[in-house]
Amino acid sequence: MTADLRLAWHLVRGSDRHEWWRIALTGVGALLAAALAQGAAVLASVRGHHDFPVAHGLLDAPGERSGVIAALLLLLIPVLGFVGQSARLGAVHRDRRLAGLRLAGATPWQVRRIAAAETGLACLAGSVAAGLLAAVVVARMDGHTSAWTWAGVAAVVLGMPVLGALTAVLVLRRVVASPLGTVRRVRAAPRPESAAFGLVALFLVVLFLSYVGVDAGRGGFSAAPALIVCVLALTGAGAVWLVGASARFTGRLLAARTGSPAVLIAAERLRDDPWAAARTHTVVLLVTVVGTAYTGIRRTLLEVLGSGKDVAGNLDFYTTGIDLTAAAIGVGLVITLAGLAVGTAESVATRRRTLAAQAAAGVPRAVLGRALLLETALPLAPGMLLAGVGGGAIGLWYAALAEGGGWSTSWTPLLVPAAVYTASLLAAATALPLLHRTLRPSELRYA
Amino acid sequence: MKNTGTPGPLLSANDLVKTHGATPALRGASLSLGPGEILAVTGASGSGKSTLLHCMAGIVRPDEGSVTYDGRRLDRLPEKRLSELRRTGFGVVFQFGQLVPELTALDNVALPLLLAGTSRPRAHEQARDWLERFGAHDLAALRPGQMSGGQAQRTALARALITGPKVVFADEPTGALDSLAAEQVMTALARTAREAGTAVLLVTHDARTAAYADREVSLLDGVVVAEDPALEVAP
Amino acid sequence: MSTRHILLGLLATGPSHGYDLKRRHDERFPQARPLAYGQVYTTLQRLVRDGLAEVEGTDSDGGPERTLYHVTEAGARELSRWAAEIAPPAPFVTNEIFAKVVVAILSGGDPAAYLRAQRAAHMRRMRELTAVTSDPGSDLATVLSADFALNHLDADLRWMTTTAARLTTLTAEVDAA
Repeated sequence: MTADLRLAWHLVRGSDRHEWWRIALTGVGALLAAALAQGAAVLASVRGHHDFPVAHGLLDAPGERSGVIAALLLLLIPVLGFVGQSARLGAVHRDRRLAGLRLAGATPWQVRRIAAAETGLACLAGSVAAGLLAAVVVARMDGHTSAWTWAGVAAVVLGMPVLGALTAVLVLRRVVASPLGTVRRVRAAPRPESAAFGLVALFLVVLFLSYVGVDAGRGGFSAAPALIVCVLALTGAGAVWLVGASARFTGRLLAARTGSPAVLIAAERLRDDPWAAARTHTVVLLVTVVGTAYTGIRRTLLEVLGSGKDVAGNLDFYTTGIDLTAAAIGVGLVITLAGLAVGTAESVATRRRTLAAQAAAGVPRAVLGRALLLETALPLAPGMLLAGVGGGAIGLWYAALAEGGGWSTSWTPLLVPAAVYTASLLAAATALPLLHRTLRPSELRYA
Repeated sequence: MKNTGTPGPLLSANDLVKTHGATPALRGASLSLGPGEILAVTGASGSGKSTLLHCMAGIVRPDEGSVTYDGRRLDRLPEKRLSELRRTGFGVVFQFGQLVPELTALDNVALPLLLAGTSRPRAHEQARDWLERFGAHDLAALRPGQMSGGQAQRTALARALITGPKVVFADEPTGALDSLAAEQVMTALARTAREAGTAVLLVTHDARTAAYADREVSLLDGVVVAEDPALEVAP
Repeated sequence: MSTRHILLGLLATGPSHGYDLKRRHDERFPQARPLAYGQVYTTLQRLVRDGLAEVEGTDSDGGPERTLYHVTEAGARELSRWAAEIAPPAPFVTNEIFAKVVVAILSGGDPAAYLRAQRAAHMRRMRELTAVTSDPGSDLATVLSADFALNHLDADLRWMTTTAARLTTLTAEVDAA
C-alpha cells in the first residue's frame, strides 16, 4: 500500500497542469459537499426547541430545521454536478497513464488503489478543511449540541474521501477491464445507461426529499413542498431528456443545412455526442426551474404576508426564510455555473491537439470560439424554455393554492431563465482564454 | 534549375532562429522554395524540421531572421492576415489530427471554402470533385474516426488543395502510414501538385517519401547543411 | 542472378528463338540490365550442352535463318527446382560502400564527405525510380521492380545515415587496429 501511495504521488507530481486542476477542483468540490453535509448533520443532531441567536428563529423549531436540512441536501445536487465535471478534467490523460501502468504489469487492484488514493486524498483535504470549519461553528453552539453532533461531523469528514475513492474506482472500471482500448483511444460507444443511472439517482434523491418535505411542511401550505419537489423532479427528468434529444435534433437539423462553419462544427459535435450536453446542462436547468419557481412563490408569499392574514409571530421570521432560500439558490447557481465553466474548459483541454491543428490550417480563432459557445447555446435554449415554463407553472400553481393570494400576473419569474441563459454563456466564455492558449502551435507537438 | 528560376523564390527563409523555451530548434536556417517546386526537408528527429515548416507557413514567428512570401515579410504580418493566408494561399497537412473529428470527409474538405463564405452546396460540389481526384469519393460520408490512416491523409490533402494554394506544407504526411498507403498518398500529392503548379514543402525523415520531391535539403541541429551538389546550378 | 534460369523460364512458355527471348526478357524485367544478344546465344548453347534445352528446328520467315529452341524434361525439372529454391538472405557481409568508408579512413581520406556524396547519388536514383512508380502510365510489373530497387536503396540510405553518425567511433576502431 505504501508503495502504491508513493507511486501515486510520483505520477501526480509528474503530470501536467490539467491534472492539477482536477485534483484542486475535486478538493474544492469535496469541501463544499462536506460543508453542506456537515451543516445538515449538525442541524439533524439538534433535538427539540432551542433558541439560536441567528436567522431570526428559523432554526429554533424542529419543523423549520428539517426544511433547512432539506435545502442543504438539495444544494448537494449542483455540488455533485460540479464535482462530476471536475473529475473529467485531464481524465483522458489519467486514464491513459493508468492504462499504461496496467500494460506495464500493474495488477487491476494496484491501479484501482492508485486512482483511489489520488482522489481520496484530494477529497480528504477538502473534507478536513470543511471539518475544521464545522468544528469552530459547533464549538460556538455550546449547549445545543450533543455527542451526535460531533459524530455527524466526523462521519462526514471520514466518509467523503471514502465516497470519492469508491467513485474513482467505479469510474475506472473500463480502463481496468481493457487497458489497450484506452491507450489506443478507441472511441467509447455512447452509454445511455449513464444517463438512465443519473435519472434514477435523481428520482431517489427527490423521493427522499419529498418525504422530508412532507414531514417538514406542517405550516400553512401543508401539501405543497412534496408536490413542488415532485414537479421539480419531473421537470428535471424532462430536462435531461430534452437537452439530449434537442442537442441531437438541432445538431442534425443544423448540420444538414447551415452554411456557417462555426455552426457546422458545433452542430456536428452535438450530433456526435448529445449526452455530453445533457450531462453538463441538466443541473443548470434544475437550478433554473427552482429559481423560476422560487421567484413566483416568493411573490405570492410576500403578497400573503403583506395581506396580514394567516401570519403568526414576527414578519422577520418569514422574510429571513425567504431570503435564505434566495441565497441558497444563488449559491447553487454559482456552483452550477462553475461546473459549466469547468466542463467547457475540459472539452477544450481534451481536444487541444486537434484545435491547434485547425488553427494552423487557417481556421480563424473567432470561428473556433463561436463554435465553442454555440455548443453551449444551441442545446441549452430549448431546455431553458421548458425549465422556464415548468418553474413558472409551479409559481402560478402555488399562487392559485395560496388562500387570498389570487393569480399572480407577474412576468418577473420569466426573467430568471433569460438571466441564467446569459450567465451560462458567460460561464462557457471563460474557456475562451484557454482556447486561445490551446491554439498555439506548440500544442501541435502533443499527441 | 527551378530554385534559381528567373522570378526568384516564391517563399524563402533567411537565417531563422527559433528557441522553444531553453531548447534551440533553429540556429540560422535559410531555405528557399521556387514556384511549383517540390522540396523535401529531411533530418533526424529534433533537428528542427517541423519548426522550420511552422515558421515558413506563418504558424509560428521566428525569434530572428525573416520569412518572405511573394515579396511580403510573413514574420511581420498580423495574426489575422496570417490565418487568412494559411487558409487561401497555403495548404497544410500534418501527420494526423488536422481533420475535424466530428465532420464528415465532405464537410472537412469543404471547410476552407465555407470559411471563405462559399455556399454549402457549391462548396460540397467542389469538395466532391477534390475527393475524387484523390480517389476518396467513397469516403464522403465518413468521419475521420471511421477512416484508415491513408484515407484520412488523402482527405486532408484534398482539403489542403481545394483552395488552389500556391504552397502546400506537409509535415510528415506519411509518418503514421504503412508503405503502401504512404505510396498512394505521396503519389497523389506529387501528381496533383505538379498538375496544379503548387509548390510543396515536404518535411520527412523517410527517404522514400523525400524521393517524391524535386530537390532535397537536410537539417542538422537547426541549420540547413546538405544540398545535393548536383542540383546546384553553376553560375 | 541466373540468366540461364531466366531464359529457361521464358523458353518454358513455348519454343522460341534467341532474338525473341532477348526481347521478352527486356520487356518483362524493365529495371534489369538489357541482355546482350551474344549473351543470349552463348547461354542457349550451354543449356543445350547440359541437356536442359534442345534445338527444335530452324525457320527463316523470309528473313535470316533462326534457330528455335525448346525446354527438355530435365530443363523443366531444373527450372522448378530453381524457382522453389530460396535466395540466400544477406549474401554479402561487406559491401562496396562499407569497403570505401574503411579505405577512406585507412588512407586518411574524408569518409563523411564520401557518404554525403553517395547519399546524394542514392537520392537521385530514388527520385528517378519514384518518378517511374508514380507515373500513371507505368504498368504494375514496372512499378514493382522499381519498388524493389527503391526499397534496397532506402536500406542502403538508412545504413549510411547510421554509419555517418558513428564515424568517429569507427575511425578510432579502424585506426587502432
